[in-house]
Amino acid sequence: MNSHDENFIINLAINVGKLMLESGAEIYRVEETIERMISSKIDSKVDVFVLPTGIIVSTKSSVKSITHLERVRSYKLNLEAISRANSFSRIYTQNDLSDEELDILITSLTDIPQFSNKTTLFFTGLAGGLFTGLTGGTFLEIFLAFSISLFVGFILKRLSKFNPNFFIRNIIGGFLVASMGVLSYYIFSKLGLNLEYNRIIIGPLMPLVPGVALTNGIRDLISGELVAGGAKILEAIFIAIALAFGVGIALQISFAFI
Amino acid sequence: MNFLIQILLSFFSVFGFAVIFNTPKRLILLASINGMLGWLIFYFIQNLNSNFVLPPLIGSLFVGLLGEMLAVYNKQPATLFIIPAIIPFVPGYGIYYTMFHILNNDISNALSTGLESIFVAIAIACGLVVATSLIRIVRPYLDKLFD
Repeated sequence: MNSHDENFIINLAINVGKLMLESGAEIYRVEETIERMISSKIDSKVDVFVLPTGIIVSTKSSVKSITHLERVRSYKLNLEAISRANSFSRIYTQNDLSDEELDILITSLTDIPQFSNKTTLFFTGLAGGLFTGLTGGTFLEIFLAFSISLFVGFILKRLSKFNPNFFIRNIIGGFLVASMGVLSYYIFSKLGLNLEYNRIIIGPLMPLVPGVALTNGIRDLISGELVAGGAKILEAIFIAIALAFGVGIALQISFAFI
Repeated sequence: MNFLIQILLSFFSVFGFAVIFNTPKRLILLASINGMLGWLIFYFIQNLNSNFVLPPLIGSLFVGLLGEMLAVYNKQPATLFIIPAIIPFVPGYGIYYTMFHILNNDISNALSTGLESIFVAIAIACGLVVATSLIRIVRPYLDKLFD
């Protein structure tokens, strides 16, 4: 491995950028990181173009020009990875590292600590349940939202083994949340307790609803990243449509019975 | 009492989302406090007037400013403190009701809630962008302050 080879440096920068993009970093941050990493080691003009679905990097000097293209497929918010990629690029650009030091530094990017599945599941339940509380739910509604959120999180985690398309995944999520919400409303109304089923549904739906994606897309748009921002907003809209399909099917079926 | 409940609910729901987003362990607490304060400001302004754009705008402006300052202090990207913290006022509620109205063939209500949620999202994004630009101006002083 020759860590001063141009191709190696560009590939390293692209991989760091890809990790950030897949973890949900802003477009401008990914572009800045890649550009800074390359121009700290190579003395030529660097152009970086990042889209939510791919990275294009081109370096031009008077003798030759190199262009790399990297396709990015899926992304999931992972703030630990963004934090690590950020400190990696900071250390990389500010120091002249030997090959061994660089190897050690790269391992900090390859094994990123992750909360265990059980912990994540519990907090998915907690987040969904408490959100019902924030919208004015009673204690019983919070508890129901907690259990539904926990259950749906578990099912979706199981499903992710089959790599479902985001549209299908959100239809299933929306369907499960709404059908269980209405079911628990029905059971408790038989027992004589009147609950608000919209509130029970909205909490567990919160980890699925693309509010953050929509806000981030608009943020990119405002910062001048028109293509990337537009693509993210379109994705958020389609996630919302998928959830509407799932919730809609469940509500229509249950209204026919209740 | 209600105030205390709001504090607890917002703190722990932001905490939950911070874990879902795999925030670094030592920063979760700071992100949750940021989200809690942002929600309290949102809640306070929401009770003062009926405008739906102002609370998320001011709330996210505060979250953005505090998040950027925490980012400078901890030498971390600001996203880590901002993304979990804006969750309580992100228009998930509005998106849900838009879908709900469409399903009930209530298009005029769907349009108004849909437009409302889009403007809430724009307000949040604006607040964050303004906060980032403001911090960029005072950044040299902040760096000196925290060193």
